[in-house]
Amino acid sequence: MQTFERLSKILVKNYKIDPTRLTLDGPLEELGIDSLGMAELLFFIEDEFKVQLPFDPVALPTLGDAVCYIDGLLAAQQVTETPVIAGGAPPAAPHRPV
Amino acid sequence: MTGIGIISPLGNSAAEVLGNATAGRSAICRIDEPWCKRLVSPLAACVKFSGDEHFDAPKLRMLDRVSQFAIVAARQALDDARFDFENANRQRVGVFLGTGMGGSQTTDDAYHTLYAEQSDRVKPFTILMGMTNAPAAWIGIEYELTGPNLTYSTACSSSAVSIGEAWMRLRNGDLDVAIAGGAEAPLSFGALKAWEALHTLAREDPFDASKSCKPFSKSRSGMVLGEGATIVVLEDWERAIRRGATIHGELIGYGVVTDASHITRPTVTGQAAAMRAGLQAAGCVPASIDTINAHGTGTQANDAVETAAIKQVFGADAYRIPISATKAIHGHLLGASGALEFALSLLAMQHDILLPTMHLEIAAEDCDLDYVPNCARHNVKFNTVMSNSFAFGGTNAVLVARSAQSAAVRCAEGN
Repeated sequence: MQTFERLSKILVKNYKIDPTRLTLDGPLEELGIDSLGMAELLFFIEDEFKVQLPFDPVALPTLGDAVCYIDGLLAAQQVTETPVIAGGAPPAAPHRPV
Repeated sequence: MTGIGIISPLGNSAAEVLGNATAGRSAICRIDEPWCKRLVSPLAACVKFSGDEHFDAPKLRMLDRVSQFAIVAARQALDDARFDFENANRQRVGVFLGTGMGGSQTTDDAYHTLYAEQSDRVKPFTILMGMTNAPAAWIGIEYELTGPNLTYSTACSSSAVSIGEAWMRLRNGDLDVAIAGGAEAPLSFGALKAWEALHTLAREDPFDASKSCKPFSKSRSGMVLGEGATIVVLEDWERAIRRGATIHGELIGYGVVTDASHITRPTVTGQAAAMRAGLQAAGCVPASIDTINAHGTGTQANDAVETAAIKQVFGADAYRIPISATKAIHGHLLGASGALEFALSLLAMQHDILLPTMHLEIAAEDCDLDYVPNCARHNVKFNTVMSNSFAFGGTNAVLVARSAQSAAVRCAEGN
């Protein structure tokens, strides 16, 4: 499944967002996910994509920005063939299944 | 008091709650969760409530059940009060909320993640959902209320304290309106086990689980935990009259006195002093109280001590004054109990009903007052009610209110 579809699945499942509202250039804030909501969305992204994000907040204004960001992490992960630790964060913690 | 909002085991509207309380329908039952087999008595009084009927999904993700209850009860209360926000100075509207355990379900979930699942994946909203002042904060945010937003945590008297403290601010002229009450959602496995470990919870009635809480009874064995929220709207009498509000009753006294002797054991002296303080603040003599809503938990310690304290304060009148203990059917909502019982007392007074103390077949020898056993009394005109809330930690709070009709007469006479 492509990144956009996987991310959309998270948004539909956890935020009950109508799938027809999900577009790459749509601001996440308009979907009810503000900067605080982003903290939780990133948590779901870590679980879904098995990546660990940097400790510092990441600004991802649109769904497209989130897709690009995740794809970048996944690409880096493929190169290293180990879980990606963005921003030099400590080793990945155990993940729970989503 | 011009608005009442209730989310409770007895129902999710004032009318439904009064109807069930009058009929003595118990909301206490066996709970059915996978972890219940690890409880000695898997009993609780649960609210029938689904957050997704009241909140959109992104917001709901930030709300512990306790905040959901509080917000929905506040909406009900403000609707009931027909509150006009357009013309309100929002800095003169305060929120005063009592809760004993705050977002305990969220905290319990986080501990489960850490210790049971051995995972470090604690959810990002754990703090903001679990913090004790979240319910009050959300009410303030929802209505953009910029006056004081205060949370009181004095265990089982929390919401009597919050209402009393709000009343004092109003009486001092610091505020135009107060949104006050309590919320509690303590029915997580961790919280239930912790209460069980304290040996305060009731044994299950072998014949009918719904009758397990028996205040003032010879066979009482403890309390049953419940959940919910009750919010009331308080405003100055003249202001309420001016805007043509429906007045449920007038809060006229609040007494708060602390035992300062033992962390759990109640004292006759402390409870009696709180009742006297409430009477003094109300300018009432003991004989003028028509009915008492007792703290009446169904524990051995409270019910005997409360009975003795009522006798100490009211003397011979103690035997005349009808006493209701509604925890028998809605359970003990901890920090939300005081507000629920106060609201219920005023609703009953509005409808000339003395609420029953259910499951009281044989009263204990040291509980020998009129507890309105097992059956409501109808068409009883009364004008003054006292509502008692006592607590672990020793903060005893008492609210005294009178009916709107009697308040109107007294106001016309200049009292």
